[in-house]
Amino acid sequence: YLKGTKPSFFLFFFLRKLNVGVDTIQHGVEGLVYLLTESSKLMISEVDFQDSINVLGFSDELNKSLLQLYLDNRKEIRTILGELAPKLPSYHSLEWRLDVQLASRSLRQQIKPAVTMKLHLNQNEDQTAQVLQTDPATLLHLIQQLEQALGEMKMNHCRRIVRNMK
Amino acid sequence: GFFWGKVAFKGRAAAFGTACWGLANKCVISNSFILDDPDLKDIDPTVLKHCHAAAATCILEAGRQKADISAISACLEDCKLDKERIEQFCTEYQKNKDALEILLGSIGRSPLHITDVSWRLEYQIKNNQLHKTYQPSYLVTLNVENSDSGSHPDVSFSCTMEQLQDLVGKLKDAAKSLERATQM
Repeated sequence: YLKGTKPSFFLFFFLRKLNVGVDTIQHGVEGLVYLLTESSKLMISEVDFQDSINVLGFSDELNKSLLQLYLDNRKEIRTILGELAPKLPSYHSLEWRLDVQLASRSLRQQIKPAVTMKLHLNQNEDQTAQVLQTDPATLLHLIQQLEQALGEMKMNHCRRIVRNMK
Repeated sequence: GFFWGKVAFKGRAAAFGTACWGLANKCVISNSFILDDPDLKDIDPTVLKHCHAAAATCILEAGRQKADISAISACLEDCKLDKERIEQFCTEYQKNKDALEILLGSIGRSPLHITDVSWRLEYQIKNNQLHKTYQPSYLVTLNVENSDSGSHPDVSFSCTMEQLQDLVGKLKDAAKSLERATQM
């Protein structure tokens, strides 16, 4: 249902098997979807999940299979929900090559080293690519800056925040 | 070289050789206009324009070909310039050669040039779809310069720690290869 599989197929299947009304099945499926997505969204514990469904007055056996359903599918549901979150263009990959400019119309006999890069980004489900260039000195500067960025996560300040959030 | 010879041969003003360089220098490098120069107001504007064009052509062509001083001198001798002026021209040329090469080298199309990078580190906690996401996320902005239009269409993207490690790893590979290439 979540992944967009045609609901009508299931609907007919259940209709024939259970011999109940369309509305009943629709409400049932919607309820189930709500229960699973909401629980997965909040990442509630096994105990909390059981407490939540106990009040619904189902049989122990049904509660047990609901819990199993939740535990089995939680990871996948969270992955799908994660994809729905608002997102900026994100990094996909980088290709690079080394160039040396040797001559141009306005200047012969040059030796100008450059790193040409193709940056692939994910943007609204699509992949875009941009060609960029830089000089050796800037390349070293970029590396130094981004290594600092990576190192920041290991600093006490960040580690403390991460520890206290969990 | 044609105009240069013709103009120089006419020998209108005593300081013509210097004037020529000054003109070319001003027009080529700093882009101001010669006709407004009060020192040159006694010279016929048509001659002035020819002279300017000739000097500019000579300087730009010499720069483009990376001509050395002896080649420039030979060319000017062919144009019947006297020794003193040639020397003066060459001295001035030598002084401005590097600036000229940088200018000429910057002309032409090239991909967007990265000049700097800025970054921001965030810790994602929750969003409307998902709670307890708890993961670090970087926002990276590459400052980019367009040599043609001078515009700055910066490139921004987000990445996880693993993705940033991937990016840095690749940039390091490029830097290593660059270092090896320059040692060859």
